Amino acid sequence: MEQDAQLVQQCLQGEGSAWEELVRRHTRRVFNICYRFTGNRAESEDLSQDVFLRIYRTLASYRSAHGGFATWMTSVTRNLLIDHYRRTKRDRVTDSLEDKMPVVENKESAGRRPDEQALLGELSGQVQSALTRLSPELREAVILRDLQQLEYGEIQTILAVPEGTVKSRINRGRIELARVLQQMGVRPA
Amino acid sequence: MTWTCEQTEARLSDYLDGLLQPAEHTAFDLHVNTCERCTPLVASVSHALGALHKLGQVEPSPRLVDSILTATQGPQTWRNAKRWLHGLQSPRFVYSVVSVAATFLLILTASGFSLRKPKLADLAPATIYRRADSQAHIVYARSVKFVSDLRVVYEIQSRMNENEQNPAVREEAIPQTAPSKDPGRTDGTNPAAPRQQNRANDVARNLQILAAECPLLTGSFGERSSR
Repeated sequence: MEQDAQLVQQCLQGEGSAWEELVRRHTRRVFNICYRFTGNRAESEDLSQDVFLRIYRTLASYRSAHGGFATWMTSVTRNLLIDHYRRTKRDRVTDSLEDKMPVVENKESAGRRPDEQALLGELSGQVQSALTRLSPELREAVILRDLQQLEYGEIQTILAVPEGTVKSRINRGRIELARVLQQMGVRPA
Repeated sequence: MTWTCEQTEARLSDYLDGLLQPAEHTAFDLHVNTCERCTPLVASVSHALGALHKLGQVEPSPRLVDSILTATQGPQTWRNAKRWLHGLQSPRFVYSVVSVAATFLLILTASGFSLRKPKLADLAPATIYRRADSQAHIVYARSVKFVSDLRVVYEIQSRMNENEQNPAVREEAIPQTAPSKDPGRTDGTNPAAPRQQNRANDVARNLQILAAECPLLTGSFGERSSR
């Protein structure tokens, strides 16, 4: 966290290499938030680029005393995702064939048997699909808590809502996700 | 503690995250184990949460970082040029440039190059060599002369100090009259020993040299010698 603040200071002093380091450190995280929210790879890459463009332009407004850089960056990402969701609400009718292509996930994929990996890949696709069916408020709360592993306090800062609302949204989001998965035929063994 | 289905649904995440108090946890378990509605709810949400946690990180395209950097800072070549220019502002580079410039100036000056009236011909290697050689010889000759002068002055000073510290010796050493150079004396006096005579002659000669070198001190030496 301190290293991020130091890199931000160096960026503001005009050091291009510091900005490059910040981008390399956080691209994966921003992309994953975007991908889990949209479920679309190409769209997520465009959104990630927009997030960093906005961060680059507003970097001077970042204050390390008001929270970590990662929290601030996640907040910018979330705001951009919500803007994007509202803007493209009418356009989201069908997905292109390219977007339906499976995405390679790297978590513990090594060492698994091919059949296990295929099952896991199928389940991951179903969970991702179920996530995109949640309302944006519940979706973002579940992504931040269960996929980004953030604390309630951090989520409260990012979403700018009281902690009780954060807890309620996470709880409702999980229940709604379970209901959607059941509708899709994914049931506990 | 009694527990209801509404409580189960409202506190389900707290239960799954382990945030319930022990008494609440016990009541939750008792209710879920006996409630036909809550048992599948807890099982399905627990399963969904497990599936969520199994989702891994998705790797972005390798081109994404570069496209972000291009969108924010321009193309790769431009970024490299800016980084190079930024590197020129480092104190280490500035010190290096200043020291190289100072060295170059020193060499030019030593080779006789005139900064007030610079000529292209002065920069010819043969001219630089000839002037540098001449300058080196002049500097060497001046150094030798300076050292020689210092040696003479030191010698004179040491002699004067010696005489001032022991005036009796000086008076005795200097004969009142110069001895006759003729061999064999007829006036019955003992002639000065040859070594004493030589020393007296040396002191007198040194005083004359000092008087010639330092005209300001002539008066004081004149008085001292007359005493």
